Formats: sequence, C-alpha cells, structure tokens
Amino acid sequence: MTKRVAIVGIGTTGFRATTPDVSYRELTYEAAMKAYLDAGIEPKDVDSFVSTAEDFFEGYSIADEYSPDQLGAVLKPIYTVPGDFIHSLASAYMMILSGIGPISVVQGLSKASNMLTLSEMVTFAMDPIYNRPLKESPHAVAGLEMARFMYETGTTREQIAQVVVKNRRNALTNPYAGHGVLVDIDYVLNSEVVSYPLTQMDIAPHSDGAVVVVLAEEETAKALTDKPIWIRGIGWCSDTPGLETRNWGEAVYAQIAAEMAYKMAGIRYPRKEIDFAEVNDEFSYKELQHLEAMRIFRKGEAGAFTAMGGTEINGEFPVNPSGGCLGVGNLYELNGGLKVLEVVRQLRGEAGKNQIKNVTTGLAQSWRGIPTATGTVVILSN
Amino acid sequence: MALIERFQKVTDVTYWEGQIPMSYIYTVGRAGEKFFREMINGKIFGAKCNQCNLIYVPPRIYCEKCFERLEENYLEVGTKGKVHTFTQCYETYDGVRKEVPSIVAVIRIDGTEGGFVHWLGEVEFKDVYFGMPVEAVFKDKKEREGSILDIKYFRPIK
Repeated sequence: MTKRVAIVGIGTTGFRATTPDVSYRELTYEAAMKAYLDAGIEPKDVDSFVSTAEDFFEGYSIADEYSPDQLGAVLKPIYTVPGDFIHSLASAYMMILSGIGPISVVQGLSKASNMLTLSEMVTFAMDPIYNRPLKESPHAVAGLEMARFMYETGTTREQIAQVVVKNRRNALTNPYAGHGVLVDIDYVLNSEVVSYPLTQMDIAPHSDGAVVVVLAEEETAKALTDKPIWIRGIGWCSDTPGLETRNWGEAVYAQIAAEMAYKMAGIRYPRKEIDFAEVNDEFSYKELQHLEAMRIFRKGEAGAFTAMGGTEINGEFPVNPSGGCLGVGNLYELNGGLKVLEVVRQLRGEAGKNQIKNVTTGLAQSWRGIPTATGTVVILSN
Repeated sequence: MALIERFQKVTDVTYWEGQIPMSYIYTVGRAGEKFFREMINGKIFGAKCNQCNLIYVPPRIYCEKCFERLEENYLEVGTKGKVHTFTQCYETYDGVRKEVPSIVAVIRIDGTEGGFVHWLGEVEFKDVYFGMPVEAVFKDKKEREGSILDIKYFRPIK
C-alpha cells in the first residue's frame, strides 16, 4: 500500500484587489510564516519545496529563481512549476512518496494588481500565427465557449447568473475574500456585455494574495497535528491548446483529471461519496461546466440544481462555499491554492460562518484559465 | 518599516515601473508553409490522418490522436463550413471597449475536424445560428500575404 500523505499546515495572506503596501515576496513570506506556525515546524525541517509561477505574470523571464528566499528555501531542494497550484501540490506529494523526505511545502502567489497590461498578457497566451492576428479580446474565447455550453446543455442565462449571485454572496462571510457583494440575477444579466453572452459580472475580478501549504508523510503528520487532512486522490490533464480542434462544449480536461483522482481515491459515485466542492469559476458558466464534467451532475443538470439552491452552503451539494474565484478573486496560477485552502478549512471545521455541517470529504478543482484546456483535481478527507 | 505597519495612502507607496520589450519571429513550420502558400491562391488546405480518418485544419505534420506522420497527406478542403459557436465581442485584445462590436465564430470546415476562429461578416448578429453554413471571403489576390488575415471573414451562404 502506498504511504499516506496529509496537509498539516496552511497559511494565507487573504485576498484583496490590490496590495500596494507589500511586494510579492512579502506576500509569500506572510503566508509561509503562518503555514509553518500552523504546522508547528520551521523552514529547516522542510525536505523539499515547490513554488508556482508563470514568468509573464510575475514580470520576470526566469521567475523561479526569485522564489526560494521568502519561503525559507535558500540552499534547499526547490523548483517551480509553471502551472496551477494543484500541479505543484501533486509534485510535492510525489516527492514525499519517492522518499526525498517526510515534509514538503507548496507555494503559490498572485500579484495580479502589478500587471498594468493584464489583458495583453492573456492575449499573448494565444497562438501567435492563427489567433493573435485577429487582435480580439481573450474574453471572446470565453464567450464562444459559454455560448456552445448553453447550446449543448440547455442551461439558461438565468441559471448561470445564479452562480454569480451565490458565489459573491458567500464571499461576504469569508474574511479572506475580496469581492463579496449582494446582487440579484437581474443585476448580473443587466451588467455590461463583454462578449455575448458573457457579461462583466460573469468574469471573476482579479485579486492578490499568497497560499502556502505544508504536506507530511503519515507518521510525521500524526506527530505534528490532531487534524491531518489526507490527500486521497489527485489528477491533472491537458486537452489540445488548438482553438480550431478542441471541444467547445465540454471540459474534457476536468473530466479526465477528476477520473484520475477518483480512481486513486477509490471513488465510484462522486456525488454520494464527496460532500462538497470548490471548483474553478473564473467565469460563471465554468462552475457548471466543471461540475458536469466531473460527474457531480449529469450534463445539463448543474444549472437547474444551482437555481433551486442545491449548491448553496446549506444545500444538498455545496459548491464554492468560499465564494470561489468570482467572490474571492481570480488568482491566476494560485486559483488551485484558493480551492485547496478552502477545502482544508472546511474539513478542519475552521470555515467560520461559511462552515458546512458534517463534512468528511471535499474536492478542489482548478483550470489554468483562458485560453488553456488544462485542469487539476485533488480529493481531500479529514 | 515593520511588517505590521501599513501605509495610509496608496500615493505613499514607492514602486518602480518597468517594461519588457519583446519582439519575436514565429516560424510557421512545414505544415504552415503549405497552408499559407495555398492561402495566397485562395485555397484552404488540411492534412488527413488515414489511420484515424480525420482531417486537421490548419494542417500539421502529425496526428494528435495516433501520432502518425501526416506530411504527405495535405489536401484541399474547400472554403465552406458551419458555425460551431459564436459570440459578439465588445472588447479589444488590450481590454479597451470597442465602438463597434465584432462577431467572432468558430467555423468548422465541412468534412474536417478543424477550421478557424475568425470573424463573420455580411450578417447581423441576431441572424447567426449554430450550424449556419458559411464560406470564406478572401482579400483581393494582390493584397494577400500568406496570413490568417488573407481571409477577410466568413459570410453566410445564400
């Protein structure tokens, strides 16, 4: 049997639209300090580190070289994953299993407010020869996908708007969230159209912040904490980046990543065996599309279930109790970190007013954003 | 300044503004060479995978499913297709609001697995529908330069 690995420490700065008073390094330092305190360790106790960074988003051509200091990782084994936070989590998990040492640390960061040309950064992720010459907004890619998703599943505009209403309301009672607000469906539907049917309110506003997570192998985990949160399954997957040939209606990347994680966790019926989920909602419709891809709901049913309140904190299957990316903020490569952070808080019973009752297993899922088709999933249990 | 002290005004914050000037040449590759040279002739080419029985547009020298080499398998695929999905976009690539929105669509070229992300023209947004038959409208031959913009837009087939 494989060794078990648990999350034994979490630390975060919380998430705000701007953080002018601190540098990106100081954000990580704050989250790291809290995570080490939470785990009851010092950086010298850590055997390996994994940081998460996208060069363009950090403003360096080799951003990973700038990650050790603020983590306490100077002259220690460390490397950077240019993907989602959950990719880094998988990497740290594997390092423990491969015998590098019993304790591993994962870091992720967003300093999105530093990016003065954020829209262009995302545009430069598109194919330079076939897509970029049109000089269209990357939001057009989301508009195209949202339209096809609605067409294939029969999901209505109102059902999708309910995702925004729910997540931004949940954020109001999450002290870490930066974008909580009370709005109704009409407000979402009447907000400015960005790329029809996508409106301004369907797009997660960006946030800054950092998350650091400490992982430990079973024996060490039990010695460090009374509340270990076990990694039961983890998966990741990428579809073709080509906009010309990809599947525009379904999130196949999320489906395959989830099946990989379910298989590892021994989960057959995700809706029954998982209590709640934090899924990527950088755009409102993505929450529904991801839930259906991961077999939490059948195709075309996530919208109706959401409209009936089934995904509220006190609903039958709560989704994004933290407020999600819509309510907490789009954190780019840190989006998976927000999801993991919230699932751990829920499973420890530390989610305050947003606490779901009697939860034992949660799912955290992320996506690398436009124009990618890359997804990550981790299943955690207390 | 200690970590627990906070600035009172954003204007008190010191920062350094920097730019990263970048220029790049993106070679189109062997499949791209074929595609864009034929584009100048007003033709659209794809590459067929005989093993998977599917056609890639734009063409490539490998099949993403079975990894077969496709370089000998270029073929003309015509200029007609169907609207797979569509949107009306009000924002430019740098996040600025457009005065006149554009209609952007994914067009599946008939008989192929691929196609284009391109504009729709000669049509009102309210009249566009899923599966609408469209055809490529090329620039005048002397204006073509071997680029995706040699196609002006796709228009409905009347």
